[in-house]
Amino acid sequence: MKKSMIVVALCVVVLVPMALLTISIKENKAEQQAINAVPGIKDNETRASEWGKNYPRQYDTYMQTRKSEDITDVLKQDPALVVMWAGYPFSKDYNKPRGHYYALEDNINTLRTGAPVDKITGPLPTACWTCKSPDVPRLMKRDGELEFFTGKWAKYGDEVVNTIGCGDCHDNQTMKLTLTREYLKRGLDAEGSLKTADATHQDMRSLVCAQCHSEYYFKKTEWDDKGTKKTAMVVTFPWNKGFAAEKMEAYYDELNFSDWTHQLSKTPMLKAQHPDYETFVTGVHSRNGLACADCHMPYVREGGVKYSSHKVGSPLDNIANTCLNCHKGTEKEFRATIDKKLARKNELAKIASDVLAKAHLEAAKAWEAGATEEEMKAALQDIRHGQWRWDYAVAGHGAFFHAPEEILRTLGGSINLGQDARLKIRIVLAKHNAVDYVAPDFSTKEKAQALVGMDYGKLVEEKKTFLNGLRQEWIKQGEAKGIYDPESRKDMKLKTSYN
Amino acid sequence: MKYLAIFLVVAVVAVFANLVHESKMLSYLSSDPKVCITCHTMNTHYDTWQHSSHRNRATCVDCHLPRDSFVNKMLAKARDGYHHSLAMTLKTYGPNLRISNDAARRIQDNCISCHRETVSQMLTNSALYDKVEDGRVQMGRPCWQCHRDVPHGTMRNLMATQNNFINKVL
Repeated sequence: MKKSMIVVALCVVVLVPMALLTISIKENKAEQQAINAVPGIKDNETRASEWGKNYPRQYDTYMQTRKSEDITDVLKQDPALVVMWAGYPFSKDYNKPRGHYYALEDNINTLRTGAPVDKITGPLPTACWTCKSPDVPRLMKRDGELEFFTGKWAKYGDEVVNTIGCGDCHDNQTMKLTLTREYLKRGLDAEGSLKTADATHQDMRSLVCAQCHSEYYFKKTEWDDKGTKKTAMVVTFPWNKGFAAEKMEAYYDELNFSDWTHQLSKTPMLKAQHPDYETFVTGVHSRNGLACADCHMPYVREGGVKYSSHKVGSPLDNIANTCLNCHKGTEKEFRATIDKKLARKNELAKIASDVLAKAHLEAAKAWEAGATEEEMKAALQDIRHGQWRWDYAVAGHGAFFHAPEEILRTLGGSINLGQDARLKIRIVLAKHNAVDYVAPDFSTKEKAQALVGMDYGKLVEEKKTFLNGLRQEWIKQGEAKGIYDPESRKDMKLKTSYN
Repeated sequence: MKYLAIFLVVAVVAVFANLVHESKMLSYLSSDPKVCITCHTMNTHYDTWQHSSHRNRATCVDCHLPRDSFVNKMLAKARDGYHHSLAMTLKTYGPNLRISNDAARRIQDNCISCHRETVSQMLTNSALYDKVEDGRVQMGRPCWQCHRDVPHGTMRNLMATQNNFINKVL
C-alpha cells in the first residue's frame, strides 16, 4: 500500500511538468509554423504589387526598372536597317530596349504592332504578347497553349495587361524559379546540351531569362479544336542543330522557312530576335559557371537580409557590386575595356549593314533590269545568310560583351557573304546593261523610308487613333476584370520614337 | 491504489514517449544544420550562414561545438541544449542573442583549427608580444572583432531576415 502511494506521488510529480512541457512545445511549434509559413500568393495572380506586399525589397528594386526610360531610335542611328528590313514591321519602328517596367507598354506603342480596331484586326499574331507579361502563362493555362497562339494580337489586348513581373519566373506557392513557357523546355530538350530535367538552381538563374531572351520563330501549326480547324503561330526555338548562327541557319534552310520576302530584293529573309542565351553560353562568363542573375541581379545586403536586386539592367550601372566581386581593377578601367569591345563590334556591324543594304538595292535594280530567278538565286541565298548572321550578332542585348569572339566571327561571315552577293549581283547587272548602277542614298531614316515607299505619317496617325481608342478600352476592361494593376503603370508617359 | 499506480506509470511512459516525439528529442543527436532551426529562434543565424561562403565548408556544429573529443562535444551539446530549452520554455531570451564565454572560446578554437596556416604567424606573434585582453579566447582577441560579418552578416536580430530560405529547406 505504502509502495503504491509513493509510486503514485512520484508519477504525479513527474507527470505534471511533463504535461506542461508538452503543451509549451506545442505552442512553440504553432508559433514557428506561423513564422515560417510561405506568404501565399493566390494562383493566377499576375499583379506584381500583390506579390510585392510580401516581398517588398524585391518589388521595390523591380519597380526601379522604370528608371531605364530613354528611347533610342535605332533606325535613326543606322538608317541602313530600314532598307534591310523593307517589307517587314521592323522597318517602321525599332528602339533600343527599356526596362522591364516598359516591356508591355513599348510592345503596345510600337508602330510594329500596328493599329487594330477590334479583336480580329491588326497585322500581328497573338504570339507577339508571349514575352511581355505574366498574364501569358495564365492565359496559356486557361485557354491551352495552342488556343493562345491562335488569332490576332488584339485578341488578348484586354487580358494581357501587366508588364513582365513576378509570375513570369516564380512559382506562386514556393517562390522557386520556374519555367512558365513550355516552348523553352521543348527547345532545350531538342538542343540536348542541357536537358530541362537536369537544370540546377544555378542553371535556372539563366533559364528563366532564356524564356524570352532567345531567338525564336513562329511555327505555323494546324490543330483541331473540337472539330474546328485552326492555325496557331507557335513560338518555337530553332535549336535542334545547335546554338551557333550557322546551325540555326541550317535548321531554317532545311525547313525552307522565311520570316518574310524582302520588298526590294525578293529574298526569302530571316529575322533574328535577340539570341542572348545562345550567345552567352559561348562566352567566358558562362563557361566559368555564371548565370545571368549573377551580374544582372547582383546580391544586395540590408542588415541581415541578403536578396538579389530585381532591378534587371546593365551591370555597368553597378560595377562595384558586379564585375569587381570577381575581378581586380577600377570602374574606370572596366568601362574603358567594355567601350572598346563595343566599338569593335560597332565597326564591323556598320560595315555589314552598309554592305547588305546596298546588296538589297542592287538586287532590286537587277530585277528591274530584267534579271531571271535563275541568275539571282545564288546571290539571294548569300543575302539571306549574310543578313541573318548580321542580325544574330546585333539583335541581342550585350552579345558583344557576353561573347565577343563569337559575335565578331559571325559579323566577319556576314560581311563576306554580303560582298559575295554584291559581286554576283554586279555580274547580273553587267549582263543586263546596268553595270554602272550606284545604290541611292539612304543616309537618314526619312530618306530610307521614302526609298522603300513607306507612308510613315499614315502609320503614326493610325497608331495614335488606336492608342486613344481601343488601347484605352483594354485598360478599362482589364480593370473591370480585376486583373489590371494601376501601380504597374504609375506615372507612365507616352514615350516613343514618333511623338 | 495499486491499479492507480500501474495506470500512472503507464501514463508517465506514454507522456514521456509523446514528449520525445513532439520535441524531436532524438534529432538533436545529429549534426545536420536543419536540426538547429527546429525552433524559429535560429532562423536568422541559419539564413545568414546559408548565404555565406562558410555554408559549403562548415556546418553549425563545426564552429559551435568543441571538436577535440566526442565526449567534450556531447557534453557541450547537452549543456547548450539544456540552456536553450530552458530559455525557449520560459521565454527568457531577447531579440538579440549573445554568445556565452564558453561558446566564444570553442568558436575561436575552431576558427584557428581550420585556418591554422593563415593564422600561425599571428599565433606566434600574440604569444610573444600581445597583452591578453580577452581571457576567454586564444590570442586574446576574438577573430570576429574584426571579421564582424563572418559568417552571419552584421545584423543578427531575430527579426532581421523575413522571407528567408527556411521555408524552402524544412
